[in-house]
Amino acid sequence: MISDRLKKIICDELYLDPSTIEINDETEAPQVPGWDSLNHANIIVAIEKDYGVRFKGLEVLKCNNVGALQALVDSKVSK
Amino acid sequence: MIDFSSLQGDTLWERWQYFAQTTPDKEAIIHYRAAATPIRLTYSSLLEAANKFSLYLKNIGVKKGDVCAIIIRHNPDFYPFYLGITGIGALPSVLAYPNPRLHPDKFRQGLSGMAQRSGLDWIFTETDLEEIIEPFVEDKETTVNELFFPLEWDLNRELSDEAIQELSEIRAAIKSDEPMLLQHSSGTTGLQKPVVLSHSAILSHVENYGKSIELSEDDKIVSWLPLYHDMGLIAAYHVALASGVTTIQIDPFEWVLAPILLFMAASEEKATLTWLPNFAYNLMADKLSDEEMEDISLESFRMIVNCSEPVRTESHNKFLNRFKEFGLKESTLGAMYAMAETTLTVTQTEVGKRATEVSIDREFLSNGKVVITNDETKMRICVSSGKIIDECEIKIVDEYRNEVDRDGSGEIAVKSISMFSGYRNYPEKTAEVLGDDGWYYTGDIGFLYNDELYVIGRKKDVIIVAGNNIYPEDVEDIVTKVENVLPGRVIAFGEDDAELGTEQVSVVAETELKTDEDFNKLRLEILRAGMSINVNINEVYLAPPRWLIKSSSGKPSRKANRERLKNKNNEQVWSRK
Repeated sequence: MISDRLKKIICDELYLDPSTIEINDETEAPQVPGWDSLNHANIIVAIEKDYGVRFKGLEVLKCNNVGALQALVDSKVSK
Repeated sequence: MIDFSSLQGDTLWERWQYFAQTTPDKEAIIHYRAAATPIRLTYSSLLEAANKFSLYLKNIGVKKGDVCAIIIRHNPDFYPFYLGITGIGALPSVLAYPNPRLHPDKFRQGLSGMAQRSGLDWIFTETDLEEIIEPFVEDKETTVNELFFPLEWDLNRELSDEAIQELSEIRAAIKSDEPMLLQHSSGTTGLQKPVVLSHSAILSHVENYGKSIELSEDDKIVSWLPLYHDMGLIAAYHVALASGVTTIQIDPFEWVLAPILLFMAASEEKATLTWLPNFAYNLMADKLSDEEMEDISLESFRMIVNCSEPVRTESHNKFLNRFKEFGLKESTLGAMYAMAETTLTVTQTEVGKRATEVSIDREFLSNGKVVITNDETKMRICVSSGKIIDECEIKIVDEYRNEVDRDGSGEIAVKSISMFSGYRNYPEKTAEVLGDDGWYYTGDIGFLYNDELYVIGRKKDVIIVAGNNIYPEDVEDIVTKVENVLPGRVIAFGEDDAELGTEQVSVVAETELKTDEDFNKLRLEILRAGMSINVNINEVYLAPPRWLIKSSSGKPSRKANRERLKNKNNEQVWSRK
């Protein structure tokens, strides 16, 4: 399940109001307004900064939706 | 360096066949994938598969001169299929695979516009898109004969002697001045311009460009660029295959998510050449961590060519500072000026030398004069796009298309042996840009200094985001239909994003709404409207009725309103950032 923290980071980066946007496990980047290839890198950097973790490009590549991204974050945080 | 005069073949097929016969075991294409073993196609295996596709295409009724749209993701069968189309004299036309955010209706609408303008005869795609494209193909008005799924074809059977003979006869009838491919100027849904190029235009370009970059048999090209983009298709695909050089192809969708892939492929395969739009320099320098770069060496690169959007000195500096410790040499930082209308390249920087930079007086430049200055408060650093390649000419002209003085700036006009003959089925657009004297008026602004071209801006309003051209009209047309936006009271324009090293799309829309809550909702709807045509609107400005200044034509003026927005004290305008 998507944490409020992750959702807030994504929304802050895209200047979106979290209360007006539905983001769940199945949500894919192109479904979120503003989440394009240019902003993608910024979102990943913002997540890394907020959680104090680092992702490898190939790890991010495997995340086909926000649920997978949350799982990646969780796996890094628990280490 | 390759001796191009010794290469045989007056058509692309003949040239590929020449390499299949003379260097059969040399790798033509390395199909590179994340976390998987690369698939390697030699010149002989590529041509063998292409022959089978040619026969299949002939048997389903594709004829010489037919335009074959290809909408296929990164796939090893794409390459022989593309060659197979050429092998029966038909014209391959690579179209962008739809991004999931693009609304199916908008995708069909774009296809319909292209089909009418370009005269698409066949569509070849993947079964995943059948549901979306089928209704368009069944439409009685469409020019498209049928939809096929070539990745599903069974190509295991060997060609009979009779089939080989039939294909040989077809190929013998293909002349070098006949059309070889059709590419579209990159854009969004409504305003794509089809450019048809002949075999001789492409082969001349390969030779002239190959000489300018001192292409050798040992070079290896690596590219993540999409093949519907001229830089990807011509520089990283046709130049390689028509010169007998190896090209390493990476999926653009994968590269965007994992930019390290380019360097992994380059490091593993010892690539020597690549082409990148300016934003990629910033993205890679910002994103790639030391951990990811651990086993990477960039020493094999001899040239990295910046193209497709304005070249920025800050981006070159950032890229070099980030990656020099991994073997990147300063001398690799090249640049070129290119466009689909001249097949690709017009100018190219020298091999073994970083693209030259000059400091120009900004005030003089705004008045069309090029004056070198050392005054940091007035200087604008311009990066060279290099010298004119062989069999190509440039002149800089004023608004009346008269040549300016040697120290003047103005519109760049080009003449080339590899020039297009006009946009297909688009005489009015052709007449706008192609003079009776054979010069193509590019709409780009620049100047020549010490025989090198410097591109400094655009006459047209086109927005270049990460190397893709976006036409403001397309964005305005979709935003004006959003509920609570006053119809016709919208402008779209590009705003510079120095951090990303590219432009981003901004929109100003008039509305009668007044509260912050309503503004936020409207902003979201405008972003969604942009998404439906696969355009990411980065900034939305909402203004009260009658805020937008009109031009003499009665439409809101992009230039005047952009200037007005610069006034930060304008409290009437709402924005989220």
